[in-house]
Amino acid sequence: MPSAWITTRAWLLMLPLLVVMVAVVSWPMAETVRLSFTDAKLVGTGGAYVGFDNYAKLLTGRPFLLALKTTTLFAVLSVALEVLAGVLAALLLDQEFRGRTLVRALMILPWALPTVVNAMLWRLIYNPEYGALNSLLLQTGLISGYRSWLGEPTSALWAIVAADVWKNFPLVALIALAALQAVPRDVKAAAIVDGAGAFARFRIVTWPYLVGPLTIAVVLRTIEAFKVFDIIWVMTRGGPANATRTLSILVYQEAFSFQRAGSGASMALLVTLIVTLFAVSYIAILRRSAAGS
Amino acid sequence: MNTLELSGITKRYGAMETLKGIDLSLEAGEFLVLLGASGCGKSTLLNIIAGLIEPTDGDVRIAGRSMRGVHPKNRDIAMVFQSYALYPNLTVARNIGFGLEMRKVPAAERAAAVRRAAEILQIEPLLERRPSELSGGQRQRVAIGRALVRDPKVFLFDEPLSNLDAKLRLETRTELKRLHHALKATVVYVTHDQVEAMTLATRIAVMRDGRIEQIGTPREIYDRPANLYVAGFMGSPPMNVLKGSITDDSLSWAPLDGSGRLPLPPALRDSLRPGTALTVGIRPERVGLSSTAGAAQLTMTVDVVELTGAEILAVGQVGSQPFIANLDPDAAVEPGATLPFAMDPASLRWFDADSGKALT
Ligand SMILES: Nc1ncnc2c1ncn2[C@@H]1O[C@H](COP(=O)(O)OP(=O)(O)O)[C@@H](O)[C@H]1O
Ligand SMILES: [Mg+2]
Repeated sequence: MPSAWITTRAWLLMLPLLVVMVAVVSWPMAETVRLSFTDAKLVGTGGAYVGFDNYAKLLTGRPFLLALKTTTLFAVLSVALEVLAGVLAALLLDQEFRGRTLVRALMILPWALPTVVNAMLWRLIYNPEYGALNSLLLQTGLISGYRSWLGEPTSALWAIVAADVWKNFPLVALIALAALQAVPRDVKAAAIVDGAGAFARFRIVTWPYLVGPLTIAVVLRTIEAFKVFDIIWVMTRGGPANATRTLSILVYQEAFSFQRAGSGASMALLVTLIVTLFAVSYIAILRRSAAGS
Repeated sequence: MNTLELSGITKRYGAMETLKGIDLSLEAGEFLVLLGASGCGKSTLLNIIAGLIEPTDGDVRIAGRSMRGVHPKNRDIAMVFQSYALYPNLTVARNIGFGLEMRKVPAAERAAAVRRAAEILQIEPLLERRPSELSGGQRQRVAIGRALVRDPKVFLFDEPLSNLDAKLRLETRTELKRLHHALKATVVYVTHDQVEAMTLATRIAVMRDGRIEQIGTPREIYDRPANLYVAGFMGSPPMNVLKGSITDDSLSWAPLDGSGRLPLPPALRDSLRPGTALTVGIRPERVGLSSTAGAAQLTMTVDVVELTGAEILAVGQVGSQPFIANLDPDAAVEPGATLPFAMDPASLRWFDADSGKALT
């Protein structure tokens, strides 16, 4: 069959999907771009063209830069801890022990919970009056009085990070476990015979098989973390004193709470740009590993 | 003192007994091949010697020292795996030197040892490459180099040639033999390939279902198999086995059906009664087209004639029992022919019909 026809047919087959994508993605996207150059309100008409005003205000104003900082901190902390917890869990689950299948199945539970349910659960745990965390810490003598974990600017972000890590480390653990099980038995045995200790074995034998899948997990999780909205909205609504206001929260408040559609749109586009950069690096990594193997 | 000594090694996995009592000992410089079908427990035994698997019972001694509780790295062994098992991120040089690196051998000394091993294996130009940039044969050389550099008491090989293509397998086999001679190394080598076993071994241990069926030099194993299993395992095509019984006059043996007689060796003549069931083993290449009087004689019907170049295989039956003769390439044999043949009585091997054990 001539390859030109194959190409044509491929496009034809993809056409319905492309039409839908243009309708639900491209058109709103274009509309957002247009809005971002206006001072449109959420209700009412049009809004006047203001050029790059919205962008200029954003990049020089405190709220956006603070939210960018908060988001970055949240993403770095949660992804780093997820990877650490995930890899450790995977290393444990890679050992032979009784009931290992059960533990593996149980471990996936937090990840299977809807984010909102998880967030509610952790709000209960952090509750200043009857939360489990306070009683636990008080009983073990680590704190001397009940604290409001989500109510204090110094601890709120960390508390949310912990909740997010608890929910998402199982995914990293599963990816890492699959990678660990791809490590050839013979190579492990060779390293033992060669006299490598546990740490050297991890570095020389395990790590090469782990690093590829883990990179992909890191990029995917970073994209997710940068877009974080629901867990924070349920737990703190961006407070206290904006200490947990990430970019998505800020965009939401700007566009819907303060009804400034124009400047909300410009923020949304900047967030999209940042996330797109991560996505591009993800694709680049995939390409490189595909070329490598 | 034996370099390696195994006594009463057993290994159980749950209810399954993978090794059922293995005893053997190895002197310095021996090349012992553990030969057996897949799943008979060869790798398990090798891993027990290496210390990677704990035996259920029994003792491994290396250079007289009991290895109970001794870590693999302290056993003075080196191992080469079927899959090469190279470290993917390390260069060839570091792969080879890794065992020394872990033993804190100074860098200069290590580099010299690596260079020496690379020289022996002719892989010096590859030293800075990574395993992914090597062919299968080169990877296997690196794996062998990793063992060489350690200069261990015992080398352990687990089917090291089975991932190589036929030509490379042949070359590497020859090279291993040369290395063994040059280094006077003590080797335990696992394979399911009887040709590899015959060509490499100073002694072969034929394994079956977790037991050693016979241990001996390749010649002994080939010419004097201890039982019908070994007889059927060695040789390609393997030894013919024909069922039959002792004739009424006690002087000879006759096949179950079909014509012909084979003279009974004097030892059996005296000890066995007429009518006793006996199985005889005949190597295909010992069969000659002969009309020589006095030689042992049987008759086969030929179904298929296969010319391999160096020889002719005549495939058919003696009576109703399958039989293959390996003949000179210029023998005139046609399919459908009835072929009287003969062989030296000394080349016959006699087995108890029930137990399958060799009688002479
Ligand atoms: N970890 C294990 N658990 C259970 N059975 C095993 C284990 N390792 C090996 N076996 C069994 O022991 C037998 C011998 O295995 P192996 O030594 O690998 O055979 P070979 O190397 O001769 O092919 C096989 O039947 C295999 O299924
Ligand atoms: Mg094996």
